[in-house]
Formats: sequence, C-alpha cells, structure tokens
Amino acid sequence: MGAELGNYKSCVSARSTDKELLKHAQDGGIVTSLFAFALEEGIIDGAIVAANKEFAAKYPSKCMMDNSNFDMIEPWRPIPAIVNTKAELIAAAGTKYNISPNVSLLKEATRSFGLDKIGIVGTPCQMQAVRKAQLYPIGMRDVGASIALAVGIFCMENFPYQSILQLVEDHAAMKLESVKKMEIGKGKFWVYGKRGQVVQLPLKITHKYEQPGCHVCLDYVANLADVSTGSVGSPDGWSTVMVRSKIGDSVWGKAMAAGCFETQPIEKVKPGLELVTKLANEKITKNKKTLEGRATFGVGKALRNPYI
Amino acid sequence: MSKVVEISPTTRHEGHSKLVLKVNDQGIIETGNWCSITPVRGVEKLAVGKTPEQVPKIASRVCGICPIAHCLAATEAMEASIKCEIPNDAKMLRHILQLANRCHSIALHDILILPDFYIPGTETKINPFTAEEPVRSVAKRIQRLREIGQTIGQIAGGDCIHPRNTRIGGMYRNVSEQAKTKMYDLAKEGLTLSHQQAEFMIAVIRNYHNRDFVDVGGMKVPMPKTLGYHNQGYLATHAFYGSTSMDECPSWDINRFKEARPYDWYMGEMEVTLEEPKYPIGGTTKMGTKVNPQMEACTGIPMYDGQPVEVGPRARLVRYKNFDMKGTKGQNIAREMEYQDCFYEMIDCIDALNTSGKVVADYIPNGDGSLGWASNEAPRGTDVHIARVNDWKVQYFSMLVPTTWNFATCSKALEGAPWQLAEVIMRGYDPCVSCATHMIVLDEENKMIAQKLIQ
Amino acid sequence: MADKITVGYTHLSGCTGCTVALADNYAGLLTLLDKYVDLKYMPTLADARHIQQVDVSFVEGSVCINDKLAVEEIKETREKSAIVVALGGCACYGNITRFSRGGQQNQPAHEAYLPIGDLIKVDVYIPGCAPTPQMIRNVAVMAYLLLKGTKEQKDLATAFLTPLMKLAAAGTSACFCELMTNVINQGLCMGCGTCAAACPVNAITMEYGKPQGERDLCIKCGACYSQCPRSFFNTDVISQYEAINEAIMAALQ
Ligand SMILES: Cc1cc2nc3c(=O)[nH]c(=O)nc-3n(C[C@H](O)[C@H](O)[C@H](O)COP(=O)(O)OP(=O)(O)OC[C@H]3O[C@@H](n4cnc5c(N)ncnc54)[C@H](O)[C@@H]3O)c2cc1C
Ligand code: SF4
Ligand code: SF4
Ligand code: SF4
Ligand code: SF4
Repeated sequence: MGAELGNYKSCVSARSTDKELLKHAQDGGIVTSLFAFALEEGIIDGAIVAANKEFAAKYPSKCMMDNSNFDMIEPWRPIPAIVNTKAELIAAAGTKYNISPNVSLLKEATRSFGLDKIGIVGTPCQMQAVRKAQLYPIGMRDVGASIALAVGIFCMENFPYQSILQLVEDHAAMKLESVKKMEIGKGKFWVYGKRGQVVQLPLKITHKYEQPGCHVCLDYVANLADVSTGSVGSPDGWSTVMVRSKIGDSVWGKAMAAGCFETQPIEKVKPGLELVTKLANEKITKNKKTLEGRATFGVGKALRNPYI
Repeated sequence: MSKVVEISPTTRHEGHSKLVLKVNDQGIIETGNWCSITPVRGVEKLAVGKTPEQVPKIASRVCGICPIAHCLAATEAMEASIKCEIPNDAKMLRHILQLANRCHSIALHDILILPDFYIPGTETKINPFTAEEPVRSVAKRIQRLREIGQTIGQIAGGDCIHPRNTRIGGMYRNVSEQAKTKMYDLAKEGLTLSHQQAEFMIAVIRNYHNRDFVDVGGMKVPMPKTLGYHNQGYLATHAFYGSTSMDECPSWDINRFKEARPYDWYMGEMEVTLEEPKYPIGGTTKMGTKVNPQMEACTGIPMYDGQPVEVGPRARLVRYKNFDMKGTKGQNIAREMEYQDCFYEMIDCIDALNTSGKVVADYIPNGDGSLGWASNEAPRGTDVHIARVNDWKVQYFSMLVPTTWNFATCSKALEGAPWQLAEVIMRGYDPCVSCATHMIVLDEENKMIAQKLIQ
Repeated sequence: MADKITVGYTHLSGCTGCTVALADNYAGLLTLLDKYVDLKYMPTLADARHIQQVDVSFVEGSVCINDKLAVEEIKETREKSAIVVALGGCACYGNITRFSRGGQQNQPAHEAYLPIGDLIKVDVYIPGCAPTPQMIRNVAVMAYLLLKGTKEQKDLATAFLTPLMKLAAAGTSACFCELMTNVINQGLCMGCGTCAAACPVNAITMEYGKPQGERDLCIKCGACYSQCPRSFFNTDVISQYEAINEAIMAALQ
C-alpha cells in the first residue's frame, strides 16, 4: 500500500440495501445510507450536506444561502444545508459537480441548529478543513469535539458553477434544468437527461473548466475522513468504501451489523483498488508538478505553497 | 496627618485600574479615588463615519466580560436612531443571549472574589484553584455554570464572547427546535446549580462580613459593619433587560444625565507617603512615588440628577424588588440573588420563542440623524449607548458603561473603611474596567456643576 | 510543582475576551492548572501585581504607544519570558484597535496602537477574536510538551507549533484581504467555506462557492486566513489528528 490512498483500516465494495434510496443516490448510496443509519442510532443529530433549490424552498431555515435572489438560484447549484431526517437526506443525495461550501455551516451547526453530534460530507479538501479546524481551531470554537462522523467523497477535481453550465449547455447541448444526473467515470463526463438521453464528453474538454485551486490538491480519496467513498474501483451502482478512523470503524461496523449495506471484498471486484491507486497517483503526480511549477512561476518569484 | 497610599494595579477584575487613598492615622480612608488607567481606545470617536452595522461589533470588543450588553446596547441605539422596530422573536433571542451572559458573568465574579473570603468554620482563605475539597466541587460547579451560560449564549447569539448573530434590524438567524430544546435543558440544569451556588456564596459572604477582624497579607484588619456604605442613589432601567428611546415609557431620561471630567472630580498631584510591602501580592506603591488621579484617570464621571449613582445588581434589586441591604455585603448578596431569577426569566423567554418566526425587520431605514439611545442591564449595571445615524453612517456614538457610573460612587463608598479593604469594596462592584474608558460632554455647563459639587 | 511550566499573562489594550476564552476551558482549566501550568502572573485571575520571569507569556491586547506603562510592560514581558505568545486578534494584528485614531476624553492623545509584534519579537500567534478555548488549550499543552516532554514529544510540539511561529514571523497585519491576496489571488481557494464559518462578525459569505468579504464589517482579527486550509496545512501533523486529539484529551482527564 502506497501513501496515495492514506491510512485505512478496511476497504470494501458496497451498496446500500435500501432500494428506494438507491434511486436517488449517485453510486452505492453510501453517504446517504450511512448518515440515515447514524441519525437513527443517535450517532449524529444532524448532517451537513449539499442540498438544492427545491430543498431550500421547502426548508429555508436549514440552509446557508448566499446573497443571490432566491429566484435567481439556478438548477444544480448546491446549497449547504443541515438535514435531520432520512427524507431530507434523500432530497440532498446525488453528486453536484460544483462547489458546495459545506464547511461554512460547521460552526453554525453547533449554534443556531443546536447540534451536539455533527455529520458532514465533503470532498477531500473539505475533510482537510475539518481536521485543521479540530487541531487548530483558530476560529472554530466548540466545534471540534462535536464532529461525530465525517464522510469524505473521492475527488479528482471540482468546477465553478459557470463551468458546469457551459459544459452542459454548450458542449452537451442540454438545458441544465432537464438534466437528471451527472457523472465522471470511465474517462468521461456523463450527462443524463430527464427524457433519457445520455451525452458523454471526453475529459480533455472538461480540463479547461476545472477550479484552479484543485490543481494543488494532493488528496484523491479523502485520507482524513472517518469513512471515504467513491465510485472508482467498484462496478456500476456500487461504491468503494474505505474505513479510516476509530470512529469510522465503529460506525461502519454497526451499520454493517444492522444490515444497511451489502458488500463484496474489494479484491474480488473489477476494476478494484488498482484503478483507485492509479488515479490517485496520477492526480498527486500531476498536482505535485503544478506545485513545483509554482515555485518557479515568475522571474525569481514563486507562487505560494500552502503545504509549507 | 493623613497619608497617601496607592494600590496599583488592582487585581481580580477586568482591565487596569488603581486606588489612590488618603488615610488617617488609624489607616481609615478619608478620601478614596478609584480610577481606570486603561489606555483609551477611543471607540466612540472611531465609530464616527462607520456603518451602524460595524459599530456594534466594535463596541462589543470594548469588554470581553459584558460584550453582550455593549453589542446589544449599541445595536439597539442604532435601531433607535433609525427607528427600526425588530420582530418579537429577535427580541426573545436577544433576551436569552443577555441572560446567558449574566449567568457566566456572575459565576466568573464568584471566582474573582472567593480569594477574599474564608471557608466557613475555618481560618483558611479560599483559593478557587486548589484541588482540595470543598473548594474543588465549588470551582467545578462555577465552571459548569459558566459553560451553561456560554453555551446558551452561543446558540442564541452565534458566539458567546462576542456575539455573531446580532444585526441591525434583528438577528441573522432564528434557532431550530433542536437548539431550543438544548437551551431549555441547559437552563433547567443551570437553575438547580445556581440555587446551590447562590446558597454557598451567600453563606461565605455573610461569614466574612460578620467577622470582627479579617486577615490581609498577615495584617489583622478590623471589619467595619458599614463596609462599602454610601449615600448615593441607585439607577436601573429594567429588572433584566433594558429600555430604549423608542419605548412608550422609557425608563431612562437623557435630560437627567450629565457628565463631568475627572479633572474636576479627582485629587490632584500627591506623593505616596505610606508603603506596605506586606500587602498582597507584591506590596503597595513605593514611598515617594508621584501620583495624580486627576491627570491619570481615563474615565469621565457620569451623574444622574446631578449625583453619581450606583448601578448593578443591587440597584436593580432596590429599584424593582424592594431589596434594602447596604454596603459591600449587600452588593455581593444581591448579585447572588440574581442568579436563579436569571434562569427563571431565561426559561420564560425560551418558552415564548417561536422558532419559525421571522427575526429580521422587513424594512430597515437608513436614518436621518435623529438621536436614539438604548440601555442594557449588563451584569454590572446599566449600560447606555447613544447614537445618531444619518444615511447609514454613524454621526455620533457614546457609551455610558456600568463601571463608569460606578467609579465615582465606589470612590465614595471607600470612605470610612480600613485602606486594606479598599480592593474588597471595589470588587463588590464587579468592575469591568477596560470598557470604562470614554467620556462625553453633552453641553459645557457640566463642568460648572461638577466643580460646585466638589467644593 | 517543579514539573509544571510557569506561565504569565500580560494584559494590554484588549477587552479581556481573550481571558474569558482561556477560562472557557471550564473544568479543563482546572486540570491545566493542576498538572501543567503554574500561573505566575495574570491580573484578572491571579493576585500577583507585577510581571515575573516565566517560561511562557500570553499577551492579550495591542500596545498603546502613547502610554508609557503599556510600552514598558510589553518590553518587560519580552525580557522575562522564554516564549511570547500573542493571544487574540488585538495582540497579533491590532484587530479593532487598528481603527483607533484618538481624540477621546479623558486621554485624547491615546491614538496609536500597535500589535505587539511591531515592538518585540513574538514567537507564537493565536489569532481570532475571541481566540478559542480549544486553541489556547492546545498551545498550552504543546508548550508544556516542548519544555518538559520526552524527545518524541518535543518533536511533535515543534511540528505543531511551527505554523503558528511562521504566522508570527509573517507579519502584523491581517484582515479579509489576506484571503484575497494570499489564497484567492494565488489561485489556491477551493471553496470549502471554512473562512465564512471562522469569521466572528459574519463578514464573509460564500457566493457561487467563493468567499466574498464585506470589508466594512471586517474587524481585522485574522481568523479567516489562519483557519483556511490553504493558508497553512502541515500534512504531517494534521494527518495525525486522531492521535494528537486523543493525547490532548487524555492529558486533560
Ligand atoms: C466534485 C466531485 C468530484 C468527484 N470526483 C470523484 C472521482 O473522481 N472519483 C470517484 O470515485 N468519486 C468522485 N466523486 C464522488 C461521487 O460522485 C459520489 O459523490 C460518491 O461516490 C458518493 O456516492 P453515494 O451514492 O455514496 O452518495 P449519495 O448517497 O448520493 O450522497 C452524496 C452526498 O454528497 C453530497 N454532495 C453532493 N455534491 C457535493 C459537493 N459538490 N460537495 C460536497 N458534497 C456534495 C450530497 O449532498 C450527498 O449527501 C466526486 C464527487 C464530487 C462532489
Ligand atoms: S480536487 Fe481537491 S481541492 Fe478540488 S474539490 Fe477535489 S478535493 Fe477539493
Ligand atoms: S482579540 Fe478580541 S477578545 Fe481578544 S482582546 Fe482583542 S477584542 Fe478582545
Ligand atoms: S477557507 Fe480558504 S480555501 Fe476555503 S473557501 Fe475560504 S479562502 Fe477558499
Ligand atoms: S473577514 Fe472576518 S475573520 Fe477575516 S479578518 Fe475580517 S473579521 Fe476576521
């Protein structure tokens, strides 16, 4: 095991046993099922997720809104929100390929929301933010000890909202509101329409649209999450799950015992960890190069390296 | 021949202050000056030209012990100037936040005054940080009470030291049902603990004041029955919360208020002629040192009806609850008596809070330069802020903070006490000094009035 | 007693909110004082009236350079402490005292306030307004390990404190602009939202996933920048978050 996958205690391929839930989930419904279980068991008393406009219309007080006029909030724009029930979790399931500043709710969760045990889902960089907030809580009073379950999602890159708009509306020639699902996999960016049409774009096209901050990111599989998950490595409809911390181990064990998930050994599935490792390596190698490039970016002037 | 002794800086309270005392041959204080020596950050002046939204956030930061009172009084003074009515649930959240701050503040004050007192039935002074019983259990209870207060404040106010949730026109967010339940549970627990804590403190305070002699750094000092008595009046604007110029019947009258400068009120240049190295800890100021309260003092002398008045827990209890115990003893007991009431009131407010109600006013005017004021009953007394906002800019801002009111009153209360107990009297006021660094003069007549008073 | 580190607390032009934050470790404060910290000097909580020789000094507040006493006190603090920690936005960056411009009674000449790092060398920064009890606790425990621990513990403490020492070396000015100049302008922001959560005055909102700073609200406390995972991220230390957090919690039992 190389360092690219971080430390983990166990790794499986898994899928939620809740068929209804799977209809709304991105992959194996790991995030939504695990939070639903944790809520039911009182392991968490609320979870921070990426919701959307429909959710915000129904539960305005549960969301962290920006300054946009509500009518102007576009389809597929994530809105960080706190959910307390399985129905609310399902309403926020599925991947939104643009920035959802979930950590912006982390402090408020312990304040006006009154949470004592927070669940939070996020990209690897958001997991880094969470752990930094725990170890160096400079502006995060009374937050660290309240984080009860941090679920990380694998992430190669993320996009500004405008990028998704242009990818879907220009390159895929679809209206954003008629999109049912988006997905990155098998070397392509997939757009599924509500009427059943499927468009695939080569990743070559998407690169120009990536968020620049992602190009210095050295974590693919959310090394600092309690449990991290993504589609890569597992068959369609299944997820690769890595259990990392003591908390993660305990919650995952309980959820398994309660029958929330069906699993297959990761060694038995195709393409398996080999692909995860390969992609992780690619990402890290590429971004290390960016960091090196930043060191000699100007003439005798470097761009800042956040890791030193 | 009277002698001059100086205790500087004073300890176990917030901020920097000192005591300059003229004492007689028996060591009894003839004239006492208690003055702030905290540099003046000039918040009232730096506020001018800023937005009414930013100024309360800065005002909060004049004091970390009653930041809530400053933040709320400043916010409400701005609202009073622009004439903005806020929704009822925003008011409830502000009330809860304010009471929560009081709980933590009373508990903190307990820690600060305990070292003056004895464990009842013994000759041992209390070190609140000792690991030994019975003190350790009390210390833990105090810290738990503070935790309860701070946590409730954090829920209602976004943060508990400097609140984040308050804004002009109401509050940024209402709280969830879950948060309401949490506040309720905490308040219930706090109520029980505050009962026990107040009982303990009142016993300790009585024990101390009933002694004939008390020990100060190995000196046996007689305990006067009238320790801390004064003949000044009391000022309070509400049993718990406060009042504003927008109220139908405001409980504070700006026309009855005047302020003098310390130059008119304090003693001029003197030399220290009495030095006591035994005075804990580190002794009093060296013989021969020049002192000049008149020039050094950093606060003004506010007056109500032409006299300094006492503000704080006793003032509230005298004004609203028929309390009549005088002196330092009465003051400390009054504070403890506010404890449980604070939780009862908080529970009522939590009950009244509708978590789906709106908390921001529909319309927030930009202001036309009218004068507005708001008072807030800080843990240590009436805190009045005055503002003029014009076209969303602050034109004028003034803060009459509790300890400023109390400086002159406490100076009076020092008279007749053995000088070694001066700090005990001062701590009865639960001073919060770094905020007490302002001065406003509404009209120049004030100076005349003050001079006459001294003669 | 001999095993504890000696600690002092110098209070300059600050509001005592930093002191309250320290006290807000609640029962943990009692444990800190029982086991690790011998509090030699602290005007609010302890009786000692004068600055003393200590291992670690925490300084709250900025320095009014028009006040002789304040200037003497900060110099004396430096001379008498092995490690000086600037506690809170005022001591690190000036915070609200940056806005001061004097002219107020009864000391109209008190107008110039400087973060302590402009007058003395500062070793460690704890930004924020108010700073958090947990951050103060972590630094106190790490300072203890640095001075009294085994070799391994010393290394850990050094690694933990290094970014806070670098902040201290980096300068005495911070506000929302640091996020703009050092993170966003540098192409490093990835939209996590941490800065918005960290801001004590709600000056930061996330618009289309990126921070927008309301600079008329910002009080210059430095919390957003230092909390941002793209200001500093010492992977070696933060990856061990589980073990370090457990060790700190165990130390406070
Ligand atoms: C930007 C991005 C890039 C990704 N890249 C990869 C990749 O390269 N390889 C890979 O294997 N997997 C990647 N994923 C993860 C993958 O798309 C799924 O999110 C993951 O497998 C979880 O699926 P699930 O069925 O368990 O989750 P679900 O049960 O569907 O739940 C998904 C959860 O994620 C939250 N969420 C959705 N969008 C965001 C967002 N933008 N930011 C934060 N939280 C969000 C939702 O609110 C929901 O709670 C990426 C995800 C994102 C957001
Ligand atoms: S690539 Fe890295 S920085 Fe970008 S969103 Fe994913 S985890 Fe965050
Ligand atoms: S940093 Fe904040 S809490 Fe600390 S002294 Fe300054 S204003 Fe007060
Ligand atoms: S904390 Fe840093 S990386 Fe995260 S949103 Fe703010 S500026 Fe961007
Ligand atoms: S934006 Fe907020 S957190 Fe950042 S320096 Fe200003 S006040 Fe502090």
